Amino acid sequence: MRHFWRSYTLLLRWDFLRRRRILPMIVFIQLALSVGVVYGLAFLMPDVNGKSALYLSTGAPTLSMLVLGLTVVPQEIAQNKLTGRLDWMSTLPVPRLAPLASEITYWLAASLPGTVIALVVASYRFDFGLQVNAAVVPALLLVAATSAAVGYGIAVASPPQLTQQVSSFVGIGILLFSPVNFPAEQLPAALQAVHRVLPVESMADIVRWSLTGQYVAHPATAFAVVTAWCVAAMALSVRVATRRR
Amino acid sequence: MSLLEVRHLTKQYRGGVLANDDLSLDVRAGEVFGLLGPNGAGKTTLVSQVLGLLRPTSGQILLDGIDVARNPDVARRSCSYQPQGSAPLEGMTPVEAVELTGRLRGGDKATVRRRTEELLTALDLDAWRGRLVPLSGGVSRLVAFCMAAVHPVRLAILDEPTNDIDPLRRRLLWEQVRRLADDGTAVLLVTHNVAEAERCVDRLAIIDHGKVQVTGTPAVLKERLGGALRLEVSLDVGVPVPRLPDYLTAPAVAGRRLVAQTSLADAGRAVGWARDAQSHGEIAEFQLSPASLEDVYVRSVTAREEDADAALLA
Repeated sequence: MRHFWRSYTLLLRWDFLRRRRILPMIVFIQLALSVGVVYGLAFLMPDVNGKSALYLSTGAPTLSMLVLGLTVVPQEIAQNKLTGRLDWMSTLPVPRLAPLASEITYWLAASLPGTVIALVVASYRFDFGLQVNAAVVPALLLVAATSAAVGYGIAVASPPQLTQQVSSFVGIGILLFSPVNFPAEQLPAALQAVHRVLPVESMADIVRWSLTGQYVAHPATAFAVVTAWCVAAMALSVRVATRRR
Repeated sequence: MSLLEVRHLTKQYRGGVLANDDLSLDVRAGEVFGLLGPNGAGKTTLVSQVLGLLRPTSGQILLDGIDVARNPDVARRSCSYQPQGSAPLEGMTPVEAVELTGRLRGGDKATVRRRTEELLTALDLDAWRGRLVPLSGGVSRLVAFCMAAVHPVRLAILDEPTNDIDPLRRRLLWEQVRRLADDGTAVLLVTHNVAEAERCVDRLAIIDHGKVQVTGTPAVLKERLGGALRLEVSLDVGVPVPRLPDYLTAPAVAGRRLVAQTSLADAGRAVGWARDAQSHGEIAEFQLSPASLEDVYVRSVTAREEDADAALLA
């Protein structure tokens, strides 16, 4: 554990140092994305009622983490593959999970200001109050870790030239066809069935519940589903990343 | 006992390309071992397997007697690596990159800091130590070397470490490579630069088409040429390559330069031929000197190609 912690903190330092020049821009883009989701998607709905507003606002953090994990992280990994950085990192004597954990932490930290500000903006825009509970920390961590682990696995397993296409496709799918900013009942039956298997709805549920304390029938089940996906995605990502050709 | 033992190693990629073909060699602690060969000879594939990044199709790689294919972690603990491409320096100053690498390899803060200062000063990199601006190719490679040398390891693998480096710092780099070996590290040096390898390596292997063609010390390998001499000839622009007499063997042409081998007994005749050719304007200049490692290299690599040509004609 000590070796893991030491490797993790050193890798995290490396990740922050190497991107220090672009960090302000990343934070700004994440902020614009989160606030944009709250404001922009509301234009698509002529009459935003209380429930819709709440779904839009509390869905924004989940959406931000999903976009981060499933589009930004894979593109970053693809770039690392092309430059040889990924192979070089594989020669370092660090625990297998440490680079992934450091990558997730960096992007989580970079997106956090945007997430918090978007929620504040949303509560003013739609005039409702949040009831944040302590579960918000594990909820956000789980959502970020799960999506980044899946994104990491996609990037490591696919050719770098294809990663951008795959991650863009996944990003659009999540934005338009996932019950994050709206209730699952609004989707066609077939997509509802797909989302009973995928963790996206549960991800949105645990974040929504941790921010409002309501609108979710079974928060414990949702947490269990996301945790199971997180463990499986991490194990698979590490397995794919360390598989030798 | 050898620190690195490669035994009958074969690596065939999924597409069918045979990159290493029944390849065997060994590297001892405290020696600089050169791995020479043309592009596509299988050098990088061999290195990737030693580092545990690729799995051998058959054969064994032992590091301190431990099978790397079964225990890839042993390679990560025992080996440092300077890649042929760029090291991951983007956004980092040289001091930050070298210190963080040393600490990730397990070094304590004070020792790593001291060693970083020592290496940057020894390679005359003080002017760049805290710079964030993009570094030149040569400076990046020197920093990449520091990253591989900052923490003591059993085996340091340096892939083309002198590319793009100016002659003065190149000399400083070789001193540091030598020092690594003198401190007990086995150094596996992958290079195309035969002349430099001749000065720096203790032993070497020339590989081509995935196979070890020859292995030994530079002195022993040159001896195997039969005490031969080399006649190096430069040609004027537009002048065709002259026809050589049969006592000038294994000719190799590179640009306007022609190198051929000859024996001590034929030295007089070779000089006579060259003088005659010079007086007729067929060659510009010539030089007769003892054979070098480059001659061993050219002979090892071209001999195989000639064999292949002969097989095709047969």
